[in-house]
Amino acid sequence: MATRKPSGSASRTTSRAATSAASEARPSGVRDAVIVGGNRIPFSRAGKKYSDASNQEMFTAALEGLVARFGLQGERLGEVVGGAVLKHSRDFNLVRESVLGSSLSSQTPAFDLQQACATGLEAAINVSNKIRLGQIDSGVAGGTDTVSDAPIAVSEGLRRVLLEASHAKTVQARLKALAKLRPSDLKPLSPGTDEPRTGLSMGEHQAITTARWGITREAQDELALASHQHLAAAWESGFFDDLVTPFRGLTRDDNLRPDTSLEKLASLKPVFGKNLDEPASMTAGNSTPLTDGASAVLLATAEWAAARDLPVLARFVDAETAGVDFVHGHEGLLMAPAHAVPRLLARNGLTLDDIDFFEIHEAFASTVLTTLAAWEDADYCTGELGLPGALGSVDRSKVNVNGSSLAAGHPFAATGGRIVATAAKLVAAKAAETGKPARALISICAAGGLGATAIVESV
Amino acid sequence: MSAHRPATSSGEPLRVETLPTLPGLGSLYARGAASSGRIAAGRALPGLPGIGAGRGDGEPDGDQPLTLPDVALHVPGVPTANLAGHLHDYQRLLHEPVTDVLPAGYLHVLAFPLATAVMVRGDFPLPLLGMVHLANQVELHGPVRVGDLLEVRAWSENLRPHRRGVQVDLVAEVRRAGDTALVWRGVSTYLAKGFHLPWSEAENGATGPAEGEDRAPAGTWVPPLPTGRWALGPGTGRAYGAVSGDRNPIHLSALSAKAFGFPRAIAHGMYTAARALADVGHARGEAYRWTVEFAKPVLLPGAVDVAVTPSGQGFEYVGWNGGRRQKHFEGTVTPL
Repeated sequence: MATRKPSGSASRTTSRAATSAASEARPSGVRDAVIVGGNRIPFSRAGKKYSDASNQEMFTAALEGLVARFGLQGERLGEVVGGAVLKHSRDFNLVRESVLGSSLSSQTPAFDLQQACATGLEAAINVSNKIRLGQIDSGVAGGTDTVSDAPIAVSEGLRRVLLEASHAKTVQARLKALAKLRPSDLKPLSPGTDEPRTGLSMGEHQAITTARWGITREAQDELALASHQHLAAAWESGFFDDLVTPFRGLTRDDNLRPDTSLEKLASLKPVFGKNLDEPASMTAGNSTPLTDGASAVLLATAEWAAARDLPVLARFVDAETAGVDFVHGHEGLLMAPAHAVPRLLARNGLTLDDIDFFEIHEAFASTVLTTLAAWEDADYCTGELGLPGALGSVDRSKVNVNGSSLAAGHPFAATGGRIVATAAKLVAAKAAETGKPARALISICAAGGLGATAIVESV
Repeated sequence: MSAHRPATSSGEPLRVETLPTLPGLGSLYARGAASSGRIAAGRALPGLPGIGAGRGDGEPDGDQPLTLPDVALHVPGVPTANLAGHLHDYQRLLHEPVTDVLPAGYLHVLAFPLATAVMVRGDFPLPLLGMVHLANQVELHGPVRVGDLLEVRAWSENLRPHRRGVQVDLVAEVRRAGDTALVWRGVSTYLAKGFHLPWSEAENGATGPAEGEDRAPAGTWVPPLPTGRWALGPGTGRAYGAVSGDRNPIHLSALSAKAFGFPRAIAHGMYTAARALADVGHARGEAYRWTVEFAKPVLLPGAVDVAVTPSGQGFEYVGWNGGRRQKHFEGTVTPL
């Protein structure tokens, strides 16, 4: 183990100037965090197989499948971290309650976090950081979401009246508060996907970005088709055999359309961007459907895994998050990963050419395409990202090789776990095949102009 | 007080009439309806049904020049210490951050009754009801907080021709009581349709801010890429009416709006302008100039596409009907 060196400012400046970004970013004493494996339940379109499944039931199922796969019954893990984007207030301790309902030791601590669609990846970043810092030796990162069992809130008017009435000390005061109720207050509020600050749905935001970058309908449909074909092939090849546990009678992602075609996708009517000058191009086929599901990933130190005879798929190398100014239209809502990735690559001394697999979350087909277009655009990369020139081109044959959210579906907080497990397995297989290290870049856009990105590398 | 003796923008001095408190808007509307009826009766103004019968006593004859009262109404001490709850209701409705700093739109609401009191005076030559809000210009020179004791004054000026009638500015100013420095000034431009000024000439510029838009055929204007969309429910006018006190019937319900020739209730112009101001966010700073020009009214319920974008030293904004490509309003917010 390397010894800790005092890091005086003078020596730090010298080392910054003298050494590469990669070595500077890895302070001495930090250990590796490795990905042991993952487990998820098949993802299901909203209102179908999982329509009566709660977030806790789904996450417990994903967790329990992971426990079974790696023999963790009774094990006290360092931490279980996860979350849900659409969450009932009663689920304030969703992940801890799931742990208590699992066969893990009840001495396993847990906490909930949330970063919109980046929740699952952010959980993996947290767990790997704790491992790398020596605070824990093992942990689970994951997430769950259900649109079918989403919380319905009461209107702001009813909520305020009920709160005032419950705070009232006398019957008269309570009646006075209740008398303020108006019929319109009784209308329930369903959770929306509208951005709170702009009132535009995520699809409308992406339609604006799509128009700005001139992404064609054909290119989006081709990417959607590839996603379905790749995911179908991965299922056929058995890739998901050790990544998925059946749930509620479902054994495969039920959004998958292996037999879809460009003709079928082209026949769909646009649903977003219909008021814009540019022809509307985003359809239900090249946008992610609302989905239910849950996922979990086991991370640990290599020593912890070895002591239990567990495999190690990959190293969770580093991560970078970003936020962009979308409120006044300066940047697209879902473009934050385009900002995060160059910073992540630079810190690790890497370029796009050093990446074997690009796992770019398909919130919409055009999200992937605008991100790739942005990295190829020299003006954008210099003006917006502060790079000396274009970041570069991505070989499309390396993108989402086993399909992504367009085909699998996207239960918001569960997507990160799905992608981390897939990426880890991909680099492990590639390294075993070639005898050379393999790397995957993970990129997930999220509401609020957020993005989380990470690098995993074969061990 | 003598240090800032009120005068119109062109320098004509104004007599000061001091009121003990800000008048209540409810009673002003009753008086406004009555005086609108009187003026309507004298001028056979269309579009004001159901308003109290005019007595026809003493209103100016149609051929005589219209003159504005040479009076500034003045309330020397307007307390704000008790306004926190009301301010927070306003801030929640307009999507402002909930703080104890009064946004420029809230000061407009605060001063609005005094400006309205000018318009319902017997010697104000135009009818309150049926007037069209064309534009607004506001300058906020620094933060005003809950607890500040304010002095408010209001008057009318700059009566001038408009293609469809006459327009007039209602000016309101806010200072901290006992302080000469202006902290807020608002100029609201209204159009009274069907009136004319005998002395109006071409070089007087019979223009209104909304005029260009009025002439542009629907659908020819090309909107920018939106940055947001407001979904305005049917109760938007009632909600802003409740918080602003401006319960003009055209904003309250489809039925009451129909009486004034609108197919449905319309959103308060100042509600839309204040939402745009809120959308600018912290970048506006503590002192800013905020302008708006109104075009087609926003029918309720309805969706308004908006673009609030950086421009020069500040921001510009525009709101439109996404389906029909009709501009509803546009304006600027510029830090001072």
